[in-house]
Amino acid sequence: MSPLDFDILERPDFAMLRVRLAHGQQLFAEPAALAAMDPTIDLKAGFQGGVLGSVGRMFAGENLILNTYTAARGGGELLLAPGPAGDVVHYSLRGGSLLLQRGAYLANGVGVEVSAKWAGARGFFSGTGLILLRAQGAGELFFNAYGAVLELDVAGEYMVDTGYVVAFEDTLEYQVTTLPGLGLGGRAKSFFFGGEGLVVRFSGQGRVWVQTRAINPFLSWVYPYRPQKKRD
Amino acid sequence: MESEIVARPSASAAKLSLDSNETITCEVGAMIAMSTGFSVQTSASKRGGSGLWAGMKRMVAGENFFLNHFTATRPDQTLYLGPVLSGDIVHRRLAGETLIVQGSSWLASGPGVELDTTFQGLGNALFSGESMFWIRCSGHGDLFLNSFGAIYEVNVEESHVVDSGHIVAFDSSLQFSTGKLGDSWLQTFLSGEGLVCHFRGQGKLYCQSHSPPSFGKLLGPMLRAR
Amino acid sequence: MESEIRSRPAFANILVRLTQGDAIVAESDAMASMSSSITLRTRWSGGFLGALLRRVFGGESLFVNEFSTSSRGELVLTQPFPGDIECVELKGQTLYLQAGAFVACEPTVELGVGYAGLSSFIAREGLFRLKLSGRGRVWMGAYGGILSKDIEGEYVVDSSHLVAYEPTVQLKLGLAGSLLTSLLSREGLVMRLRGPGRIYLQTRSIEGLASFVNGYL
Repeated sequence: MSPLDFDILERPDFAMLRVRLAHGQQLFAEPAALAAMDPTIDLKAGFQGGVLGSVGRMFAGENLILNTYTAARGGGELLLAPGPAGDVVHYSLRGGSLLLQRGAYLANGVGVEVSAKWAGARGFFSGTGLILLRAQGAGELFFNAYGAVLELDVAGEYMVDTGYVVAFEDTLEYQVTTLPGLGLGGRAKSFFFGGEGLVVRFSGQGRVWVQTRAINPFLSWVYPYRPQKKRD
Repeated sequence: MESEIVARPSASAAKLSLDSNETITCEVGAMIAMSTGFSVQTSASKRGGSGLWAGMKRMVAGENFFLNHFTATRPDQTLYLGPVLSGDIVHRRLAGETLIVQGSSWLASGPGVELDTTFQGLGNALFSGESMFWIRCSGHGDLFLNSFGAIYEVNVEESHVVDSGHIVAFDSSLQFSTGKLGDSWLQTFLSGEGLVCHFRGQGKLYCQSHSPPSFGKLLGPMLRAR
Repeated sequence: MESEIRSRPAFANILVRLTQGDAIVAESDAMASMSSSITLRTRWSGGFLGALLRRVFGGESLFVNEFSTSSRGELVLTQPFPGDIECVELKGQTLYLQAGAFVACEPTVELGVGYAGLSSFIAREGLFRLKLSGRGRVWMGAYGGILSKDIEGEYVVDSSHLVAYEPTVQLKLGLAGSLLTSLLSREGLVMRLRGPGRIYLQTRSIEGLASFVNGYL
């Protein structure tokens, strides 16, 4: 099995993943990410028999729908672009696990299994607006961020607002809690989009990838510009 | 307090290092990540109403200004802050002067900087549902401004014209008026320019390369109805 | 007329230094800031019929402005979304631009509207495309970075990522796989391009951003 030939272009603002697949090689990716490809590559849409849910409405425990790209008729080049403006990070899995935000998943090579169904997926994070995927195995993984990526090595304790968590090594302990001081209890949640005011408290040793922009504040900002439903 | 602007220039975040009892104030929602040795207090800036709860009931962009005050309870604490839109952050140390800052361009300030959100000078110009508000910042201390896009400075010598969506902040010594671009209202309507600001006098003007209302008007209609 | 593209690639904007006799043509809300000595004259673009057609079928806004000065001044031009701006010098050749990609050009460049074909319309790119020809500088913008590629044979491109192309490139609408595959893969429609010729791609798309954001709404 030849290693994956890839490079990440246009870092860090509008990063794109370029993969040169050898004849017969495969890559799995987020369906909406295709930008361009050579005609020697076949695209097969993942079809799990489930509902085609959207990212935000996906529940922990649902299946992840992926595209499979195979260089069927010869080697070929594939260009993948994430939705938001930001960086793309490559991570080599070697038997361990990485937990990543649903919206951060971009692509993975053969040998890596990415799933939304894993012990602890439900319950712990439901209602927080944080859907976590688990990637494990041996192979290449690519994830993207909204904004730039800060790599923080935790040794002890650290808190990250839920909207800014991209990925973290599963050697870390994690707990979702409210930011101390907001002092409004449950009332706070209904006034902000999604899980604002919620933080993940990490402890132990491991790396956390943090993005410098988040989707919820952006949704609040864009709200007045959205069309209004006509009242019948 | 020490500060560093990281991830420049398009997804900039402010990395602040605080010692025991040092405080920084920012808008609720601006916190990205932090070490655990902080106490946090939330307050609402009074703008025609008093109290935190009264403020929350008026959830219209620009009318409410919820602030978090982070105070370090131990030495060597770090805090990362970031704004809503892509762009840059600039750090300015005020030494007695006054800066008028566009509401969504204010990111954070130290305890010595007084924030006056009742400043009405330019009027509450409404741009497609987004009302702009202005904060008069004066005193001594750290001030962090953010931009949608790149921040560039213009040293006004006599006069300058800026599209209202592109203003980040300006020296209070400058005189300003809002108006139309060109000689006639018809020209303004035809040319598609929104309101512009005419600045006169001598002073510094901070501008941003991109306009949030222009971006909102383009992207908004493509999104699900609310 | 001096010009400089600053803050590439994320927030590209054009700083133009005009003196008497210089002029630059730009999109309607492209002006960020300018010296008071600069005036603007609104003009119809691409002829009355062309402008009207574009307005009806979407794409470029109806009017463009011509900025000039009787003395000297500075002007900053920008686009509504973050991304790169590239300057291409036309020396008699023609370039096709997708809707939304036009930022500015010198007045010597001819701005026209070309019929892009039904496939372009179905691919949500609009029935018309901007046709730029003649001599002079053209500034085109993208959401994201701009990549140029010289293609020889066939190349498959997601239609929302195509910014500009030379007239020698043929566009054919295609589906990414079978019809079912395309719908499920959410790729939907792609463009099958046939060279030779140069194409310009953007590394993000407003449609991609809208889909991404809609996924959370």
